[in-house]
Amino acid sequence: MIELKNLTKSFGDKTVTKNLDLTVDDGEFLAIIGRSGEGKSVLLKQIIGLIHPTSGSVIIDGQDITKLSKNDLKPVFKKCGYVFQFAALLDSLSVFENVGITLLEEDWPVEKIKPLVIEKLRNVGLDESILDRYPNELSGGMKKRVGLARTLMLSPKVLIYDEPTTGLDPITVRLIHELIKKTHIEQKTTTIVISHDIDIFNYATQVAMLHQGKIVYKGPTKDIWECKNPYIYQFIRGLTEGPIEQIGFVKD
Amino acid sequence: MGINFIDVLGKKTIEFCQALGDLGLFGYETLESLFSTKLKLKKVFYHMNYIGVNSVGVVGLVGGTVGAALAMQSYIGLERFGASQFIGPIVYIAMTREFGPVFAAIMVIGRAGSAITSELGTMRITEQIDALQTLCIDTKQYLVVPRLIAATIIMPFLSIFCTLFGVAAGYVVAVYALGINPQVYTQAIIENVELTDIVNGLIKAIVFGFLLTIITTYKGFYARGGATGVGIAITQSVVYSILTVVVADYILTSLMFIK
Repeated sequence: MIELKNLTKSFGDKTVTKNLDLTVDDGEFLAIIGRSGEGKSVLLKQIIGLIHPTSGSVIIDGQDITKLSKNDLKPVFKKCGYVFQFAALLDSLSVFENVGITLLEEDWPVEKIKPLVIEKLRNVGLDESILDRYPNELSGGMKKRVGLARTLMLSPKVLIYDEPTTGLDPITVRLIHELIKKTHIEQKTTTIVISHDIDIFNYATQVAMLHQGKIVYKGPTKDIWECKNPYIYQFIRGLTEGPIEQIGFVKD
Repeated sequence: MGINFIDVLGKKTIEFCQALGDLGLFGYETLESLFSTKLKLKKVFYHMNYIGVNSVGVVGLVGGTVGAALAMQSYIGLERFGASQFIGPIVYIAMTREFGPVFAAIMVIGRAGSAITSELGTMRITEQIDALQTLCIDTKQYLVVPRLIAATIIMPFLSIFCTLFGVAAGYVVAVYALGINPQVYTQAIIENVELTDIVNGLIKAIVFGFLLTIITTYKGFYARGGATGVGIAITQSVVYSILTVVVADYILTSLMFIK
């Protein structure tokens, strides 16, 4: 179980998350939605320990990870896999080296790593023909799949996706969402996804909305279109009128 | 006006101390990674090739040019006193003690140091370093340690190379342009060779290699602010590295050569 308690993160004068509380149960598939610039990625990076909060706690399976030093965070990274928005594949390494990097660094022999890498690639719908390709030779969707395959190498209990469908065409968006759902079921993971795409409601079981540094709503996705919460109502329908202000736009 | 000046000065002093502390911590963490994890020799050799072998051309060119200019400049001064036979030792001592290590370091900073900052900075802003961290990979061991060892090992060789080219170019200028007897040039050098000059020059090169790698990797490792931020990081890494090498050179010279 992941519990965020009074989580606050400030960068200089700007406070991104403000006394935020959120609980994610084991096996839950949570979609976090919110406007661009609300600090969703910062929230996820605090969950995994990549960003240290200004105050508050992140409790994963009873352990407050904000109290851990950099070196002690390794078990957290093993438990919680993070799939980056633009995959964050290492440019200078091939697909094989990217996916197998953790084992290569532990000096495993290549012949033992290769079948594992191929298995993970197959799990995400890719075949071994791309093993020797470099990230700049892959499409956006393929990069995200390779990024997921790389994360799966650690067999994490929790999978965190930072906007996995940004910049993809609708068909690829659907395929990536199906892949996330399939991985969630097959690997029996707790899944947290940041998304702007309302298609995610067809796959996630819970939805939470981040607004002005706080979770203003959390509930099941199956009732989302009947939800009367004004923030959710405005956001999922893309309405300009409502409690969510239009920052940076001049009204006619 | 006065208070404003003090305000700015205080702010800059705090920023400087903070940056120095961060750099020190970065260096400490790197050394901790160096001694606590297994060294990847393949990566070290790769970076030795990139930093060292690929820099040989420019280092040789600069060493030769400096040696040639030094021979000419010292001839102008020494001829007035009828001491032009000392051109050789002057070129040799200046190149071994000062110009060899310093110019080799400056050329490595310009060629390889800027590339290191650029590479690590790009990795930082595209979240590749964060990705390594989430994959339980020691980022300092993976990205900094091999470069640090490679540069520290290769710098003395580049310094020797720079010195040899300088002395050789000095010979060519002294003999063929200034009409100095070739035997006088070489004999005077042989008579003035001291092992401490060579050793101290090499120690300087090792220290410069260490310092320039720590600074250039640090600036790249913590680059932020997109492409502009990486550009700023590169500029700062080159300027700070050269300044550090020059200041370290003075400090080392004071410690080594003043009797």
